[in-house]
Amino acid sequence: MKFAMKIAALAVGSALSVSALAQNKPIEIQMWMGLTGLGGETLTKYGEEFNKMQSEYKVTVSFKGQYPEQRAAAVAAFRAGNPPHIMQMFDAGSGDMMGAKSAIVPVSDVFKRAGMQFNAADFIAPARGYYGTKDGSLLSMPFNVSTAVLFYNKDAFKKAGLDANKPPATWPELAAAAKKIKSTNAANCGFTTTWLAWIQLEQFGARHNIGLGTQSNGRAGLNSELNFASNPAFVKQVQTLVDMQKDKTFDYKGRSNDASASFQNGECAMITQSSGAMGGYVRDAKFDWGVAPLPYWPDAKGAPYATTVGGASLWVFNAPNRSAAEFKGVAKFLDYLRSMPVMTDWAKTTGFLPATNAAFKYLTDEGFYAQNPRAAVAISTLANGKQGEHTGGYRFGRWTEIRDFYHEEVEKALQGKQTAKEAVENAQKRGNAALRQFEKTASAS
Amino acid sequence: MDRRVIFSNKLLPYLLLAPQLAVTLVFFFWPAGQAIQMSVMEQDAFGLTKTFVGLANFKELFNDPEYLKTFWRTIIFSGAVAICALVPALLFALMAERVVRGATFYRTILVLPYAIAPAVAGVLWLFMFSPSVGIVAYWLKKLGIDWNPKLDGNDAMLLVIMAAAWKQISYNFLFFLAGLQSIPKALLEAASIDGAGEWRKFRTIIFPLLSPTTFFLLVVNIVYAFFDTFGIIDAVTSGGPAKATEVLVYKVYYDGVVALNLGTSSAQSVILMVIVILLTAVQFRYVEKKVHY
Repeated sequence: MKFAMKIAALAVGSALSVSALAQNKPIEIQMWMGLTGLGGETLTKYGEEFNKMQSEYKVTVSFKGQYPEQRAAAVAAFRAGNPPHIMQMFDAGSGDMMGAKSAIVPVSDVFKRAGMQFNAADFIAPARGYYGTKDGSLLSMPFNVSTAVLFYNKDAFKKAGLDANKPPATWPELAAAAKKIKSTNAANCGFTTTWLAWIQLEQFGARHNIGLGTQSNGRAGLNSELNFASNPAFVKQVQTLVDMQKDKTFDYKGRSNDASASFQNGECAMITQSSGAMGGYVRDAKFDWGVAPLPYWPDAKGAPYATTVGGASLWVFNAPNRSAAEFKGVAKFLDYLRSMPVMTDWAKTTGFLPATNAAFKYLTDEGFYAQNPRAAVAISTLANGKQGEHTGGYRFGRWTEIRDFYHEEVEKALQGKQTAKEAVENAQKRGNAALRQFEKTASAS
Repeated sequence: MDRRVIFSNKLLPYLLLAPQLAVTLVFFFWPAGQAIQMSVMEQDAFGLTKTFVGLANFKELFNDPEYLKTFWRTIIFSGAVAICALVPALLFALMAERVVRGATFYRTILVLPYAIAPAVAGVLWLFMFSPSVGIVAYWLKKLGIDWNPKLDGNDAMLLVIMAAAWKQISYNFLFFLAGLQSIPKALLEAASIDGAGEWRKFRTIIFPLLSPTTFFLLVVNIVYAFFDTFGIIDAVTSGGPAKATEVLVYKVYYDGVVALNLGTSSAQSVILMVIVILLTAVQFRYVEKKVHY
């Protein structure tokens, strides 16, 4: 009988605790992120701090793989009817998200429904342009904002007899510096790049104010066509990389962030990279290094222009079973993330740029950028650089895939299997085929 | 004498079969049916719209020269993996057979790699051969060999073939060893008395008697290279550079999961399904019936 009593006691006990929970059980808010390392740790910390501040909502920030994998996981969850409330989506995925109109709720609406103040103009202009609509509302909330810059190893520069305080400003200067570094054996490879398509195609286009496609780079309509191959500048850039690869003054180290290790361990003396990598180098690089704006071609008309926004923004998913209370919780948490203490802490810890004007002004007034000139480079090329027709960002569907087309075709050119011109043309041709398919499926929604 | 057991209850056999049938239906037939259904649809990533397109996805695939190249690449990859996994395995088995002292120890060591998960195996090889940090890459550089699997497609292919074959050697080794042990000693002794050398014994007695094992392993290895090397390829090269190591299975994953192009991806899985069915038929027909000595 003792056993049965125990079972009964357990049953009563658990029934009690369940009902106790139901009374003041906080509403669960799921957020998925794609950041690793320092950035991921910091973002998780914000979730925990938010939970401590209030008891109505419980935010869980989880890592579901890097951006592409996380995106796939979120899409699968959406198809199963249970997507995360908030998803961090990198720049390249924005076009897809914008195309899936019934899958998302614009952040401007999320705040409006919650009865909270939300002014798109609070966010820095480049990010607003990238993630906003024509009527000025924001589809997603910019969070980790970055842009492309050049990191260089000052020790290697000195060893090669170069001026460590005068980093190359243009591509010919960079090529010359790389040659010098290689010939003096100051480093094994002169220059490498992360994020090949993002930096050498997208950021490169913005820097020279050259468009990638029609319909205002995809922002004005789904029927946009890529036309970058018609501009010789892109071919010239690929050709430059191919030529430099031959004598290893440039060494290709793989897609995504793969090349980063080669700069960090001193093998390559220069790297074009996301400004968001800065926090990691501060912590891990064992040599003196500097940051310079992304190089440009001096013979390009009007260059240099501003670079464009990268990084990621926060998207709010729609789902049939989502309650108004949940959306309110989402708005509350997003409100916390855009608050001044979080924004300034984020920028200082990780090296990403502050997403709001107020946080930027605060950091400037506080003297953060004066004391950290390396952190100031990114913000000055992004926000203070010359704006042009094509510096406001791109919005193409299936861009993650199209970036890979570009990677593949340029890899083939680097292997010597095709010319630079063929690489750029093939990337465009395959990209356009993907865009037409996207147009068909997205316009039907 | 009729030794069959006859159930008196007509329902019982079906009940006993039910769990197995349920598993088969839920985990095999249902996904397969879904794949077939999705292969004739075109849909956006989020599943908001679905349109029936008939065989358009298949047509698109077979008109895509890249897909046909992937086919050839997969055949080369599988062939190379099978050979690189079979030859050393046979060699090891022959050696292990001759060892008298510590035989169990050697055999255990040789079987170990099979216990390693594909992704882990991939990462091991990735690290050893990584151009920036790998120890083997460092040696190769010292020898003056220009090694960069991040850029050179052949280097990358070589790397995934080695990693995939390495993992399969243990499995093959076990089967070869068992095969060798079942060869009648009397035959070999007779050959020795007739003055046959090691090579002659191998060529005229051992190898022919091993042929059922070899043929079975060949099919198993090809199936392995076709379908089970995904983890290794994903960890080592992610199909790159420039698709140099993208085999059929990897392309299904890439198109479906990364590019979220579900129609084309499903069409590819249907094609793969047909290939598996054919390979299984070959195995049943020839391995189990025809190869007898």
